[in-house]
Parts: sequence; structure tokens; C-alpha cells
Amino acid sequence: MSILHLSFYSAFTLSSLGLAFHRTHLISALLCLESMMLSMYLALSLWPIENQMASYTLVPLLMLTFSACEAGTGLAMLVASTRTHGSDHLHNLNLLQC
Amino acid sequence: MELALLLNTSTLLTLTIILTPILLPLMSNKLQNTPTSITHTVKIAFLMSLVPATLFMYLGSESITSHLEWKFISNFKIPLSFKMDQYSLMFLPIALFVTWSILQFATWYMATEPYITKFFSYLLAFLIAMLMLTTANNMFLLFIGWEGVGIMSFLLIGWWQGRAEANTAALQAVLYNRIGDIGLILSLAWLASTTNTWEIQQPLSPTQTPILPLLGLILAATGKSAQFGLHPWLPAAMEGPTPVSALLHSSTMVVAGIFLLIRTHPLLANNPTALTTCLCLGALSTLFAATCALTQNDIKKIIAFSTSSQLGLMMVTIGLNLPQLAFLHISTHAFFKAMLFLCSGSIIHCLNGEQDIRKMGSLQKMLPTTTSCLTIGNLALMGTPFLAGFYSKDPIIECLNTSYLNTWALLLTLMATSFTATYSIRMTLLVQTGYTRMPSASPTNENNPAVTNPITRLALGSIMAGLLITSFILPTKTPPMTMPTLTKTTAILVTILGIMLALELSNMTHMLTHPKQNPLLNFSSSLGYFNPLTHRFTSTNLLHTGQKFALHLIDLSWYKKMGPQGLADLQLMATKTSITLHTGLIKAYLESFALSILITILFLH
Repeated sequence: MSILHLSFYSAFTLSSLGLAFHRTHLISALLCLESMMLSMYLALSLWPIENQMASYTLVPLLMLTFSACEAGTGLAMLVASTRTHGSDHLHNLNLLQC
Repeated sequence: MELALLLNTSTLLTLTIILTPILLPLMSNKLQNTPTSITHTVKIAFLMSLVPATLFMYLGSESITSHLEWKFISNFKIPLSFKMDQYSLMFLPIALFVTWSILQFATWYMATEPYITKFFSYLLAFLIAMLMLTTANNMFLLFIGWEGVGIMSFLLIGWWQGRAEANTAALQAVLYNRIGDIGLILSLAWLASTTNTWEIQQPLSPTQTPILPLLGLILAATGKSAQFGLHPWLPAAMEGPTPVSALLHSSTMVVAGIFLLIRTHPLLANNPTALTTCLCLGALSTLFAATCALTQNDIKKIIAFSTSSQLGLMMVTIGLNLPQLAFLHISTHAFFKAMLFLCSGSIIHCLNGEQDIRKMGSLQKMLPTTTSCLTIGNLALMGTPFLAGFYSKDPIIECLNTSYLNTWALLLTLMATSFTATYSIRMTLLVQTGYTRMPSASPTNENNPAVTNPITRLALGSIMAGLLITSFILPTKTPPMTMPTLTKTTAILVTILGIMLALELSNMTHMLTHPKQNPLLNFSSSLGYFNPLTHRFTSTNLLHTGQKFALHLIDLSWYKKMGPQGLADLQLMATKTSITLHTGLIKAYLESFALSILITILFLH
């Protein structure tokens, strides 16, 4: 059972690192967010099975809903930023005004 | 008992007589000075000073008188005290005799000078300072006299101040004397802090004094008495009028340094390092000056270098721990050196300003008195037996030969003795003998008694002084009584060798033509290359160091590296490091987010 935990933790960590260290495109960050969500979903799904508590099987569904919203928001922001900055290249996104 | 009182009174009366030409004109408008009045004052002072000298010879009494006292700080008193011991009581009549003769000569020599009274007043002020130096019982009065003679030397060397060389020479004299003054002030400070007094009779401990104050005293003597290292001012001081050269730079001022060492001799006696320093320094000076005198062509410069050489000999005597003999040499040297200068002054005036001995000759026929006295002076200088110089020079050489000291110093001194003979004979030959090399219409006239009387008086002194002084003053240290014949006659033998060398060389100049330049001649005639080397090197280095400190160190480093510029550089360095984080890109923020997560996870473990 612990190797499963290890795989979930490592998947999550690798995805978060991928979120942090993405190179050129913003969409790769969103993709990593999706993979983080996926690993969390799998982990949340396996957790009530381990503890044999059926009432907690609702939690992954809730998480899935929220992640769908979030993915949509992320894509909308991607499109909006592409419209204003011309592409989704990261070095265009600069907070500095000068 | 009354005789001791008479000693004090007559000495103080002598000093007061000297002061009258300064004080009396201040009291009344009618009592103005004239050159003859100043000359007569010094003559009366000389006659008065014979009284305490005779009393000293008769009784052997010495005394110290204290007058006012100045409480400098609470436990440090500086009294106005005069010491009348063997040295000051014997020096007083000799100095006054020589000064009287010189002043009488100066009434003729400077007769066309418009400010002659001022000249005489300057000479008198110098004399007062010198007598203050010799009769001082504490170092404060001695220092006052020391500075006084230095200042008067400056004023008198630059007497003809329109002449650039005279001004340069005067400045040179003051600078070199000042370097010596550093040493004197060092010793004064050490004496004040360690022995809490500046009286000379007090610090007479049998233990060894540390080397530092003694080196200070030796430095002071090097500066004032023109030993090697601080010597260039003495030949340059010949820019002054001849009476100035005769008084200051032969008999009185330049012996002030040696006199200081004689006065503080108890401090030096126990420190062999200091004595060896004196010995080697004196030997080096005497040889160097004698070497430089060999190729000089200016008559006054030859006599100046001769003075420098004799001062080196006096320093050697101090180094041999024989202050009394050094003082004896000071006394006898004053006579014949002043006479040599006066003779040269007479010759210069008679040849209408010609000082080059290559343009003189056969003056024996034209100026018999002057040249005879010149010969007597030269013989006395060389140490001819039973003239004045013999009584002081010969014992010095004998003691040097029979002592267990530095052989190198001995060799140098003997070589210098033979060189003394050589240049004296050269001067005599070129000036007095041979064919005339001067223009035929020269105003050679020595019939003025103002010229002949002083010179003959000093000639008498040059012959008799040695005998008189040694007959009446007992030596404090036993002179060496027995020595091998060769050792006894060493001085006279090297002198004869020098004379023979000079005669041979003079033959050569008439018979052969030899090359104009060779290295030894260049060394001797350019005074050992000392002047350009030191005068340029030291000032260049000092100025460069000053530039380094002022500009490079202070301006550049403090203002640029550590001051405002440095602060700006520091900020810039910090800014450049953190600029990568402040690009405004999301990537940086996400990277810092990842970093903080990592740190949190590591800490939770």
C-alpha cells in the first residue's frame, strides 16, 4: 500500500515542480496543474477504500467539479492573455511597467 | 674666597660688556653704535675676560651661578645659570680675542659697505649667542644659544642678499642645522623626562645611558659641526663675507656641536656604541673633507674644507673619550683658522675680488706680511712641531695610535693628516710662489694697520697659544707616556709624506701635461657627488611620498573606494545580484514558491 502512496506523492511533487519550472508556454503550467489535480483525485479516491468509510466517497467528486471549474478559468485566462500579449510565452508576462 | 667672587663678577662683567652695544642705543639717541665702538667693546671685553681665565689658571676654581628661575611646570625648574668651568673660562678669552681681531679686520674689509653698522651688530649678536651657548649651565640656555647662532649664521651668510647663490647657501645652512636640531630636541626631551632636569652638572650617573639620547646629541653635532652626512652647508657658507667665514665657520659656530658633546661628555663616556659612532663618523668626515679640499680652486673653499676636516678630527677625539683634548684643539684651531681666513680676505681684496688660486701667484713679493702669516697658519694647521696646532693635533694622533680602538678610523685619520699637508702646501705654492698669473693692475696694498694688526696678532696667537694653554691647564686624563719611536713620529711622518707628495705634484704640473679628467679627480672636485645625489633624491622621494599620501591615499582611496563612491559601488553590487529576481516574470515567483515548499518539507522532516 505504501508504494501506492509513494507514487501519488511523487506524481504530485513532480507536477508541482513542473508547474514551478515551466519554460516557455503558460499552457504547460496549466497542464501540470491538471496532472496535480489528477493525482490528487486518484489519491482521494483510494483513501475511503483504504479506511472503509463509504461516506467519504463524495469527496473526489467534489474535487473533480472544482478542478473542472478551475481548468476552465485557467484556459479562459490563457486565451485572454494571448489576446492582450500576443502569445502565451512567459517572458511576455511582465509585471513591471517600464 | 674673595677670589672666587671675583671670578664670578668678572665673568658676568665680561658678558655685560658684550651686551652694551645692544642695550645702550635703546636708552638714548646719542649713544649710537659705530663699527669702531663695537670693536673697542669687544677688545675691552677680551681684556676683562682675561681676569677670570687667570684666576682659573691660578686657583683651579670653577663655579656655577644661578640667577632667575623659571618654573616651567610644577617640579621642573629652568634657572638662568652660568657655568664657569675650564671650558667656558678658556673659551671666553679666545673667542673674544679672535672676534676682536676679526672685527678690526672687518672695518677695513667691509669699509665700502653701506650697512656696515648693521653687519657689526649682526656679528655682535652672533657673539652673544655663542657666549651664551658656552657659558650655559643648562640645556635650555644652550638651546637658545644654539638657535641664536643658527639664525645669525643664516642672516650673515645671506648678507649680500641680491646674490642667488648666497640665498641658496643660507637656506642650505638653516636646513642642515635644523636636521641636527631634531636630534638635540630629542635629547632634551629624553633628559627632561628621565632625569627631570636640564642642568648639565646633574645627570652624571655611572651606569650606561641608553643609546637614543646620545644618538640625538651626535645628530645635533653632525648638523652643526658639518660632519659627513650633513656637511654640504659648510663649503656653501663661503658665500658670506670673509669676516663671517672667519668668525662663524672656522672658530666659533661650527665648534658648537663639538662643544655640546664636550659638555655632555659624562653621558657619552659609558656608552661604547656612542663613542664608536663618534669615532667612525669623525674619521669619515675628516678624510672626506680633506679629499674634497685637494682639488678645490677657490681659496675660501679650501679653508672651509680644512675646517670641516679639523672638525672631523675633533669628533674623533670625542670618540676617543678625550674631551679636554678636543677642547684644546678647538682653542688652537680658532687662532690659525681665523688667521687663514683673514689672510685670504686680504688677498681677495688686494686682487680686486679674485678668489681662484689658479689666478694668483708670487704674492710673497707683493703682500709679505699677509703671505708670511698664511704660511704660519698653514704650518700650524699641519701640526708643525711647537706651533699651536702641534700641541693639540699630535696628542690626538698619539692617543689614536696607542688606543685599542678602530684601526679603520686610525687609517682614515692618518690619511687625512697627510692630505691636510698636501692641500695646504698646494695652496701655499699656488698663491705665494711661482710667476704671477693675475692681471698686472691689481690694487695690492696691505699697508693699512686695520689689516696687518689683526693678522699679526692672530699669528702670534697661532705660535704661542698651544704652549700657553698646555702650560697652564693640567690634563684630566693621563696622556700616553711611552710608545715606540715610529708611533710617536707617525703624525710628523705622514705630514712630511703629504708635503713631498704636494711638491712632486707641483713639479708635474709644470713639466708634464696630464689628462684633464680621471675618476679620482672627478670624485674629489665634485665633492664626492654628495650634493646632487642627496639634494635631488631626498626631495624627489619626499615629494613623491607626499603625492602618494595626499592624492592617491586620501583622495582616491578614501573618497572613491570607501567614501561616497564606495557606498554606491556596494549598492550596485547588491542590486546586480537581486536584479534577476526582480524581472517581473511569473517564472521567478513560481520558482520562489517551489523553493519555499521545498524548504518547508525539509524542515518538517
